Amino acid sequence: MSSRRSRAQSTTGSSRISDDQIIELVSKLHQLLPEINRSNGRRSNKASANKVLQETCNYIKNLHREVDNLSDRLSQLLSTIDADSPEAAIIRTLI
Amino acid sequence: MHGFLPSFYKDRNMNHHVTGFQQLQEDHCSIPDSSRPKRLPTGDEDIMELLWRNGQLVVQRSTKKFGGGGEVEVPAEQLTVKGIRSTAEEQHLFMHEDEMASWLQYPIDDSSFDRDLYSDLMYSAPLPTTPPPPPPPPPPPPPPLQAPVIAIAPPRPLPAQKPEFSPRFQNFVHFSRIPCRQSVEPISKPFATAARESTVVESNETPAVGRESRASLLDFRTQMNTEGGTAAVDARATGAGKLAAGTCEFTVSSSPGGSGSSFSASGKPHLQTRKPTPAEERKRKSREADENECRSEENEDYELGSDTNRQERVFAASSSKRSRAAEVHNLSERRRRDRINEKMKALQQLIPRCNKTDKASMLDEAIEYLKSLQLQVQMMSSMGCGMVPVMYPGMQRFMPGMGMGMDMAMSRPMLPFPSMQLPGSGLPNQATPAAHMGPGFHLPAFHLPPVLPLPDSSRIQAVSSLADTMLNSLVSLDPNQPRMPNFVYPYQQFPGLQQVAQLPLPQNQAAALPSTTKETGNMGNQRSAG
Repeated sequence: MSSRRSRAQSTTGSSRISDDQIIELVSKLHQLLPEINRSNGRRSNKASANKVLQETCNYIKNLHREVDNLSDRLSQLLSTIDADSPEAAIIRTLI
Repeated sequence: MHGFLPSFYKDRNMNHHVTGFQQLQEDHCSIPDSSRPKRLPTGDEDIMELLWRNGQLVVQRSTKKFGGGGEVEVPAEQLTVKGIRSTAEEQHLFMHEDEMASWLQYPIDDSSFDRDLYSDLMYSAPLPTTPPPPPPPPPPPPPPLQAPVIAIAPPRPLPAQKPEFSPRFQNFVHFSRIPCRQSVEPISKPFATAARESTVVESNETPAVGRESRASLLDFRTQMNTEGGTAAVDARATGAGKLAAGTCEFTVSSSPGGSGSSFSASGKPHLQTRKPTPAEERKRKSREADENECRSEENEDYELGSDTNRQERVFAASSSKRSRAAEVHNLSERRRRDRINEKMKALQQLIPRCNKTDKASMLDEAIEYLKSLQLQVQMMSSMGCGMVPVMYPGMQRFMPGMGMGMDMAMSRPMLPFPSMQLPGSGLPNQATPAAHMGPGFHLPAFHLPPVLPLPDSSRIQAVSSLADTMLNSLVSLDPNQPRMPNFVYPYQQFPGLQQVAQLPLPQNQAAALPSTTKETGNMGNQRSAG
């Protein structure tokens, strides 16, 4: 491990990204992800980078879809209310 | 099906099956009128010469074994029955020196004798692992460019199942050295693609014929060099880039004398794509126990010159046992890393305005973006509740159209506790009903009045004032463990804010954002505490 890190540092002088940093980021990301638990419960401490990344991609796509749906609904809502109302202003900020 | 019968067949004005041949081979090079050795489908591995005698094809055993022994008459019907098949079959069998090109072509159909001769020769390595994508005809004999490779690495012990490997192979080497390249190309063109496709294990991933031939080069090396299990393993690795780059590596090392310009020329661009592999080879030499660290190799800088690769491979050849185990490990490691890299790229594309290339900052961006997306979705989904869209630092650049206004608003220092604090203290209790999307809850009513005194304010300021109100009201709450430790200090309200922001999320949206269940749990504690 030390040799690998020193190798990384020797070859990339400027970018010294430690492995632990990456691991920490991945675990942070893992915490953000919605976990689909199994029926009998599931340990959520395992966070393989591969799975986390995959889940993140899927989750972001889902959220994109949600945002699109909600935007549609909000724009519909906006059309129904008085355009000068503060609610409209709020809604406009969201879309 | 193409074969090439020498034009002298045509000239002889033979019977009908000659014309059958003729159609196929009009553009093929003419073969001198010496005998065409042909192996009959007798399973006999002798080299038989097919000769035209007395208006018929006769088969003559090669002088190798029988010293010009007997002849066997091959009835013409046999050929005609096979028709086109036989022409395809005979092509690769010609051992005549001048017809070097002949055995470069291989029959499309897999007759037994073909397989006896060639499949063992060239196909043993790929066959156990992955069948080639098209229906597997035996691979072609290597193009002449591979001859140096074969010559270089012959001393490796040949696999046991190919007892006749070396003598035959030597023959092929000999023949392959014969320079007949020009004739090879036009003749073998109809076959080359198919041939190489059949040879290459992962040909479906490498559309270029050039790459495929390199991969067949790889296969050869595999057989010649058990150490080249790495090569075989590389050949089977996922990804055309890796395949091509892997083959290019071998061409660099094994054909220093200058394999075809196509190899070396196109090898270079592929070398750059092969970043993980040199590092892996390095590690293979100096195995460490903690190489199995899951993310340890992600940060490696894999830039290596080809010279290092060459040396490493030479070194690898000498320690076969250890490196074979290491190869398997390396392969799995490489696969894992490649998967991870793919996903990182996909993630990068999902994140808007992400111009970072290194892993850590990209993960940072991903985390921020994910949070902002979650928040946004929550805000929008609870928009009917009149919740203010709240943002926290770092998120602003993800919000469309927010621009400078919100930046200014958000960066304003936190107001001292306004008079709104009083109603704010009731906020947590009211937040619970607000958690359900519905008409009658207090939160919007609570927030709207502050907007009224500012009729002319831009909506941004209105929003920001709402936000501040909310923030201030939250200060009274117990700031729970922040979810964003890096944002805590200047904007301490934000962690709590996030919880409030998630409060209005109705329970029925758990499917969309099940993480909010955590938050509601937190809020439950908070409410009980507050």
